Amino acid sequence: MAFIKLNDLEIEVEDGTNIVEAAREHDIEVPHYCYHSGLSRPANCRMCLVEPYGPIPGAPPGTIGPARQLATGCTLTVRSAPPERKLEEKYDAIVRTDSERVIKAREDILEFLLVHHPLDCPVCDQAGECDLQDFSYRHGHDKSRYLEVKNVPPKKDLGPDVLLYSTRCIVCTRCIRFCDEVSGSGELGLINRGSHDEIDIPRSHEGIPIQLLDNKLAGNVVDICPVGALISKDFLFKSRPWFMEKANSVCSGCSVGCNVTVEYKTDGVYRIKPRFHEDINQHWMCDDGRLGYHYVNSDDRLQLPQKRVDGELVTTQWADALTLIAENLSEVDAADIVVIGSAQGTNEDNYVLQQFAHDVLKTTQLGLFGQLPGEEHKFPQFTIEADKNPNTAGARTILGSANGNVVLEGDALWEKVAGAKVVYLVSGVPERALEDAEREALEKVDFLIAQDVLPSAVTELADVVLPGTTFAEKDGTFTNSTGWVQRIRKTIDPPGEAQVDWEITQQLAKQLGGEIDYHFAGEIAIAIAENVAGYGDATHQNIGDAGIKLD
Amino acid sequence: MVQERRILYEHLDTPNINTYDVFRQHDGYTRFEKAIAEYQPEEIADMVKEAGLKGRGGAGFSTGEKWSFVPRDIEPRYLCCNADESEPGTFSNRYVLEKNPHLLIEGILICCYAMGIETTYVYIRGEFTLGKKMLDAAIKEAYEQGYLGENVRDTGLNINIYTHPGAGAYICGEETGLIESLEGKRGQPRNKPPFPAVQGVFMKPTVVQNVETLCNLPFIVGNGVEWYTQMGPTYGDARFDPPKADPNTGTKLYCISGDVNEPGVYELDLGLTCTELIEVAGGLRGEEVKAVIPGGSSAPILTHYELDTRLDFTSLTLAKSMLGSGGIIVMNETRNIVDCLLNIMKFYAHESCGQCTPCRWGTPWVRDIVQRIADGDGRQTTITRPKFGVTESGRWGDTGETEEIYEDLDLLENVANNIANVDTMTWNTICVFGIAVSWPAVSYMRKFRPEFEAAIREGKLVTLPVAEATVPPEENYAYQQRIIPKEFADL
Repeated sequence: MAFIKLNDLEIEVEDGTNIVEAAREHDIEVPHYCYHSGLSRPANCRMCLVEPYGPIPGAPPGTIGPARQLATGCTLTVRSAPPERKLEEKYDAIVRTDSERVIKAREDILEFLLVHHPLDCPVCDQAGECDLQDFSYRHGHDKSRYLEVKNVPPKKDLGPDVLLYSTRCIVCTRCIRFCDEVSGSGELGLINRGSHDEIDIPRSHEGIPIQLLDNKLAGNVVDICPVGALISKDFLFKSRPWFMEKANSVCSGCSVGCNVTVEYKTDGVYRIKPRFHEDINQHWMCDDGRLGYHYVNSDDRLQLPQKRVDGELVTTQWADALTLIAENLSEVDAADIVVIGSAQGTNEDNYVLQQFAHDVLKTTQLGLFGQLPGEEHKFPQFTIEADKNPNTAGARTILGSANGNVVLEGDALWEKVAGAKVVYLVSGVPERALEDAEREALEKVDFLIAQDVLPSAVTELADVVLPGTTFAEKDGTFTNSTGWVQRIRKTIDPPGEAQVDWEITQQLAKQLGGEIDYHFAGEIAIAIAENVAGYGDATHQNIGDAGIKLD
Repeated sequence: MVQERRILYEHLDTPNINTYDVFRQHDGYTRFEKAIAEYQPEEIADMVKEAGLKGRGGAGFSTGEKWSFVPRDIEPRYLCCNADESEPGTFSNRYVLEKNPHLLIEGILICCYAMGIETTYVYIRGEFTLGKKMLDAAIKEAYEQGYLGENVRDTGLNINIYTHPGAGAYICGEETGLIESLEGKRGQPRNKPPFPAVQGVFMKPTVVQNVETLCNLPFIVGNGVEWYTQMGPTYGDARFDPPKADPNTGTKLYCISGDVNEPGVYELDLGLTCTELIEVAGGLRGEEVKAVIPGGSSAPILTHYELDTRLDFTSLTLAKSMLGSGGIIVMNETRNIVDCLLNIMKFYAHESCGQCTPCRWGTPWVRDIVQRIADGDGRQTTITRPKFGVTESGRWGDTGETEEIYEDLDLLENVANNIANVDTMTWNTICVFGIAVSWPAVSYMRKFRPEFEAAIREGKLVTLPVAEATVPPEENYAYQQRIIPKEFADL
């Protein structure tokens, strides 16, 4: 630990911490653009200049004063010093971030940064969450002395989801370093020199792109761009950032379980951005997860229960659908019932489902349904897993938590399904195609109850369809592939009369005379904590925003 | 009349000195052999330190001291020879490369021996195609003669030299920019610390030396420290007690160009005055000296009042200028300083590498302001300040004193100082390119302000007579600085 004096604060920080981070821990702002804690530090924006103190050359020993040159806070790291090199006999470093020179330097740098900036905030997507705006407001001048003609480099289409408004670019090179260091694909680079520096992808002499910015992590460059230069096409002109509500949640795209912030308004989810988690996703997420939310806002979402009448699915009322299901379920033996949980569902959904199967239906035949495995993508500092479900690990454990429960997957499951009379299949998996074996097995079922969010291959075969909810519409927890249990949070209301999956299951149980009675997801989590081995600490209160890791 | 003292350039005009045989006839490689035979590597490093050799590339940093920063326990270490001579007004290294490349190789050998280095990279300016050709041929000969390669002359030393051409960027002459370029990246300077002596080429300890510095080594080893320190003045820095020796020893290759009768490279002792130098170069072409740029285009200008300034590292630093690369440009009374500054600023705006903010956008801004002044569009306001006094009619009242405000000159000075402050010698940039921009901008403007004001007032470039164009020494910030330090005296 290093003991440093930062302005007038005496603080202890880890060895090797830089001044920007040390200051941030103590709510002192050191403005910066090029520095990003997940990337290397070129110190090229010169915005984070701070004033280090040290011995004055030529003065009597022990005299401490400001160094001649300001230093960049991002590269100025502090370490505990040997006793003879301590400043004022106790500090390992003395740094000021509020001296006159520092304030002047910030003003000067901001003036230079705005020299060629178009100041088109009214039409810029970044406005409201723009470092250039914020720092100009807090540290800059209120007017420009620049009379000359501004550079107007062209707007560029870099890839499937990324636009570059070169005029707004401050050449901090975060995006270049991201492509070099995190995704390892190196599509971006600087072209030209000096004030004509531009970010670009490789192009032929005619300007035709040789390689697009189309790696699976490309969307992150939009997040790390401190200004409005890199813009997501998906979010372009959709909304002002300050009109959106934010909720901390977890990505449902694969079993990595990236921490995300879901930004939404009452009419739907607007975008998903990664949230820092040291052990899981650091600062990043993949584009599959980032852009995979569109099905939530789809107009085709199931809003009412449906039942099959003369081979056609027709909408019906909840009471009607539940009665119909109860009739069919009570007629058959427990051995002829298969209950299939979803790896897209939360732990809470699956817990209530297994409780329903075990306590009410008295069946031990459970299955696990989920998205078909995709491809694994490995990057130098990030992995996208092949399992495209957020909660396979959790669902598997929880479905099998009660005595005698057997959780079937793959061929074993579909064999069992083919021989069953009634199957209660909770899907909620968007765009899930059925493989031949699966389709054949489901076609043989006498009475298929499908709980889903969108019309799908499963609902096509179903006798009753129940409208469930997506990750954005419910509270709960996911368990990722490395055993982290993390919270997802409700953002928008479910469409129409769609209900949270565990509530549907609970109503079914009540219809069949069961005694399952939960009021909110947190209550189920407590039940999980009490009854499922390993989940002892996993109550919503304990999990918080950081998640907890199972033993 | 001062005479040239040719040491590095002694055999420059000898026919075929670029071949091994002729070079050998003129003591070639004997100094290296003497170094191996008579001295331990550490002794050579000590000799260089004692000789007070200062780096000839521009910064004038003590070579011996620089070597002492190189950790000797980290392998491999590299020597990087900076032959990217691109400072405007400088052209001394190219003659060494083109005419006497074996001298450079001998210098490299001595440095490699002293520092225990096995690999040397010579980064040659891309435009020096002939220089590279000659050096490559000489390196080939040296390999054939066993001075390079494995087990050099049966001494057990392994020394290899690789040449690498630059691609034409000025900034690649900056040592860390050069290293980045050598590694195959964009030529953009690195943040310091760590310095190249600790983490240089491929992040290994690296000695970066100018061609001229390396060429001095054979003569220090061959003729001894005492012989070397006779040349040039040694000052005493009286801030220390007893005064610390501040040597400016040896000769310097002065590249004299501009309004002199015989421009060219002259090898002279350090410590001569501007006047003497102009005399050596065949005298002034024209009526009188208007200004002298003492060390390449980035050095602050000297006025005709300052011609008695000694052209050595210490004296020029005290005069708030620098010897830099020794590219001396003389201007006579016909030159317009605004035009000169515009020329220089165009160069710097074009050559800024664009890595860090102040330089990337400040340098073209400075150029644009100077361009505007030169075009006659400079801004000027006349303001009237109320002042109570006796008016023309003999009554008490507002005498209405007017004052000329030259906004663009203030802006020019302010913007340049925001890139790098010449008064406090601090810069917000990564490398010293920032100060290389603001030094000329501010010094030209302050020392020749009447000419800038005239350009704004008249709406066109006006070349004033020398006496009118120059700010007198007592008002000249640098001149005042120059006469203050009594702390520096000849030892």
